[in-house]
Amino acid sequence: MRSLLEARSDFPILKRVIHGHPLVFLDNAATTQKPQPVLNALLEFLTHSNANIHRGVYQLSEDASDAYEKARQAVAGFIGVKDSRRVVFTRGTTESINLVAQSWLRPRLQAGDRIVLTEMEHHSNQIPWQLVAQERQAELDYVSITDSGELELNHLEKLLAQRPRLLAVTAVSNVLGTINPLETILDLAQRYEVPVMVDAAQAVGRIPLEDWAERCDFLAFSGHKLYGPTGIGVLCGRFDRLDEMSPWQGGGGMIAKVGRQSSSWAAIPARLEAGTPPIAEAVALQAAIEYVQQWGVPKIRQHEQELVAHALNRLAEEPDVTVYGPSQASKRTGVVSFDLEGVHPHDVAQILDETGIAVRAGHHCTQVLHERLGVRATVRLSMALYNTLEEIDSAVSALANVRKVFS
Amino acid sequence: MSESLYRDILKDHMHHQRFAGRLEPADLKAVVHNPLCGDELELTIVLGGDPSEGAQRPIQEARNQVRACSICVASASLMGESIQGLSLEEANNLGTTFREAMETGELPDSPPEFLPPLMAIRKHKSRIRCAALAWNALEECTQQVTNPKSEG
Repeated sequence: MRSLLEARSDFPILKRVIHGHPLVFLDNAATTQKPQPVLNALLEFLTHSNANIHRGVYQLSEDASDAYEKARQAVAGFIGVKDSRRVVFTRGTTESINLVAQSWLRPRLQAGDRIVLTEMEHHSNQIPWQLVAQERQAELDYVSITDSGELELNHLEKLLAQRPRLLAVTAVSNVLGTINPLETILDLAQRYEVPVMVDAAQAVGRIPLEDWAERCDFLAFSGHKLYGPTGIGVLCGRFDRLDEMSPWQGGGGMIAKVGRQSSSWAAIPARLEAGTPPIAEAVALQAAIEYVQQWGVPKIRQHEQELVAHALNRLAEEPDVTVYGPSQASKRTGVVSFDLEGVHPHDVAQILDETGIAVRAGHHCTQVLHERLGVRATVRLSMALYNTLEEIDSAVSALANVRKVFS
Repeated sequence: MSESLYRDILKDHMHHQRFAGRLEPADLKAVVHNPLCGDELELTIVLGGDPSEGAQRPIQEARNQVRACSICVASASLMGESIQGLSLEEANNLGTTFREAMETGELPDSPPEFLPPLMAIRKHKSRIRCAALAWNALEECTQQVTNPKSEG
């Protein structure tokens, strides 16, 4: 069994030199880099197997259709869902959530209805609900977070008791790294019979999903945060929920029979996949899943735990640094957001870039959360399976350069 | 590289922002945001002259209230220095000069004094928006005079 330390050599981009320094990529919550097997899968499919799917009777088209459907089965297997028809391919998490908002919630939403979100949602699990709520005069409620960046479960229960139409909650915060107690949340939602949409964009490949994924009414994630390509994502739904959805987008591949005035729809999942899907990307997503499975999610989790614990310890030694989110590493994925006193996060990130260190600065698409934290923006270090303790050290040490410029 | 980005003249404006604060009452006011980071800048202007002069009215005083990064602060500070006493239209034309220089990377013949130190930002495309914030606020203020209906 290979050690995770060997993983770095699978990622060609990590050999890059930026401004004369080796690239230290610590923006993995935004997107992850791609290992050679994923790059190979993309190239091989386009070189040898490319054809449109579910349309041709010729060999190449049959092969492409098979490869696409095998990718669907690989996704289902990875997250512990038995029926692969429950896996709908989309462009990404954002499209998955918008699909549920437009196609499932919108026709069911009435004036005065409530939708429950949390203060730590990414804009992609907030704005789609805001759009339909405004149109239907529904109300949004936000579950509060504690000062240590965890959900207030009492508040959640109070809001669920009002029988909202939906609870939309992230599995992991993209800013705080907080791992939310999904099993408890799903139990509560079940007690009050509230359907749940889980944003698993930051959870997939980082923590095991199979204990609770099957129980979610809807669950979404993106391929590119799982070492796969951009342009492919997943909506995994309870079959009956998906089956009661009317199409959102119309086009090829989603029909049963088309007439001049009206048409009938294909079965799930094709009904929700209008047009030519990202076929090569689906095939490469399967390669990414197999790559992750080769290490195993628990092992990746353990590695990220070590990295994030180290980052928390190192940052705690810096008197002018404020770290947001849970203080215990065990409650987080490999994400740490912080503020360096007196220096704007953009300026911190800019100086770090001088030595090849890529970190994110800004509100990370969570303006409600930043308002709650009382800051406009933060600097975020986010880790992946290929990062090392030395890279965390160089990022924290580089803060000295920042102070030098801004003293 | 940041060495040139955070060079002396910019650093000076970062640490000692000119024309900071807000005017109350003001003839013109615009609040603009950088959607990338949520940064906020409020520009308030007191005009001289007569309302009939429209955009030809001179800027008697302008102040920037900035909650943003150092590039945004420095750019607002440089703008404050440059537009004092100019007519609204002349001032806004400087904004056009700024945007063109950022787009093309070329300085005009006899460039306004504020522009050369900002050229280093061009290497960092994402930061152009930071530097543009103050000029965007000025454009919004100008439009309030030239096209009052669109501003409700």
